[in-house]
Amino acid sequence: MRGFATFHPFVLFLYYAMVLIITMLMLHPVILVLSLFGSLLFFLTIAPLRQFLLDLGFYFLMFLLVAITNPLFVHKGETILFFLNDDPVTLEAIIYGFVIATMLVAVIFWSKSFSEILTTDKFLYVFGKVVPKSALVLSMAFQFIPLFKRQIKKVHEAQKTLGLYTSNSITDRILGGIRVFNSILTWSLESSIHRADAMKARGYGLPKRSNFSLYKFEKRDLGIIGALFVMFFVIIFAYIKQYFAFNYYPAISDFTDTKQYFFYFLFVFMLTILPFMMEMKENLLWTFLKRKISASPIRNKKNVS
Amino acid sequence: MRKDLLLVAVIVLIGVILFKGTKIQSVEEYYLTHIDDITPESETIKISIRVDAVLEHLDKLPESLRSEKYIPKDGIILEETEYVLRPGDTVFDVLLRATRHHKIPFDYQGSEENRFGSVYIKGINHLYEYDCGPLSGWMYTVNGEFPDEGVSKYKLEDGDVIAIQYTCDLGRDLGHPYDEKEVNP
Repeated sequence: MRGFATFHPFVLFLYYAMVLIITMLMLHPVILVLSLFGSLLFFLTIAPLRQFLLDLGFYFLMFLLVAITNPLFVHKGETILFFLNDDPVTLEAIIYGFVIATMLVAVIFWSKSFSEILTTDKFLYVFGKVVPKSALVLSMAFQFIPLFKRQIKKVHEAQKTLGLYTSNSITDRILGGIRVFNSILTWSLESSIHRADAMKARGYGLPKRSNFSLYKFEKRDLGIIGALFVMFFVIIFAYIKQYFAFNYYPAISDFTDTKQYFFYFLFVFMLTILPFMMEMKENLLWTFLKRKISASPIRNKKNVS
Repeated sequence: MRKDLLLVAVIVLIGVILFKGTKIQSVEEYYLTHIDDITPESETIKISIRVDAVLEHLDKLPESLRSEKYIPKDGIILEETEYVLRPGDTVFDVLLRATRHHKIPFDYQGSEENRFGSVYIKGINHLYEYDCGPLSGWMYTVNGEFPDEGVSKYKLEDGDVIAIQYTCDLGRDLGHPYDEKEVNP
C-alpha cells in the first residue's frame, strides 16, 4: 500500500498545516463544508466503520451544542426570530453558530486523522532535530488523549475483576468512573515526567546523537509538495483579494460572489479531497491487482488439475 | 436504586428551574410596550440617537454596514423625541423604552456582566462598537455634557435632553474634551 500515510513525514505535516490554516482562517460556509467533507471522507478510509460512526454521533451532538450556544450569547443580526428573556434570538446568530460548529468539527476530524497518520515517531523525525524540546512536548500532547483512553480502559477492567462496578445504580457507576479518572490523572502527570527523564537519559536532543529512520524523500514527495504549494498560494491569493469574503452580521451575504469565484473554490475542494483520493486510488489499484492474481495462469492450472 | 432516584430528582429540578427561568416572547409581543401619555403636569425628557460622526468615515465601516438601512444619510436614527420621565429613571431605562417603542435594535451588556456595574451600550441599529475603527463606540450626553458615569447609573431630572451618539475617535469628534481631562483631572 502506498496511500497517503506513506508520504514523507514532512509532506504530511505540510499538508495538515495548510488544511488547518485554511479551515481556521476562512469563515466562508462553502470552504468549511468542503473541509468538513474532506476530513470526514478521509477519516472514513483510515478508521474502522464502527469507530467512525461512533465518532460521528458524538461530534454531531457537540456540533449542535456549539451551534445553539452562539445565539444565546450573541444578539447581532437583522432577522429576529423571538425574544428569550428580553434578548433577541436572531437567525444570523444561529447560522453563524452552525458555521463555527462546522469549522470546529472539521478541525477535530482533521486532527483525528493527523494523529493516525502523522504518528509520534514521524513527528519527532520532522522536528526532533530542529526544536527537540518543543517537539517532545508537542508529541506527548498529541498522544495524551489516546493514551489516557487506553489507560482508563485498563484500570476500568482491573477494577471490574476486583469486583467493583457490580452495582446497577447509575450514580454508583458515575462515582466509580470519577475514581478511575482521578487515579489516571495522577498517573498521567507522573508518567509524563518519567518519559521526559527517560528521553533525557537516552541522550535525546544532544547535538551529535544520530537516529535511525526509514523515511526517504522521493520524487513523488517533491511533486506533491509542488502541487500543494500551488494550491495553497492560489487559495491565499483569493483570500487576500477578498474573493472568499462572507458577512454574517447584520445580514447574511448571498452566494453571487461564490458563483463568480467558483474557480477558486475548486482549489479548496482539490486540497481537502486530496488524501481521500490518494487512499481511493490505492484501494482501487489493490482490488484490481487482486483480481489479476486470481486470474493468473498458475491459479487456473491449479483449478484445472 | 435510591441514589438513582435522587439523581433523577435533581435533574428534574434543574429542568424545572431552567423552564421557569426562561421567557419566550414573539417579536410583536416584545415591541408591544406601554408608553405613558404626556400630560401637562408630567415630567418629561428628550432623547435622540445620532450617527453623524460615522458619515465622515464611511470608508472605515465594514462593507456590510454601508447601507442607508443602517447609516441614514442625515445621521439620525431617532430624532429628538419627548418621553415621560418615570420616577428613578436612568438614561438606560429611557433608551431601552425609546428603542423598544421605535423598534430599533438595541444590544447591550448588562450591568452585572462587567466590572463597572453599569450597562454598556454595544450596538444600536446594527452599528456596533469598533465598527468604525478601534476607537469607535456609543457615547451619551445629558444637556450637552458628558457624564462620568455609566448609562444605568445616571439618574435623570425633569427636562433633561439626552443625546446618544456614535463616535469614531473616542469622543473627540463629538466635542468631548478627552485630552484636557487627562491632563487636569
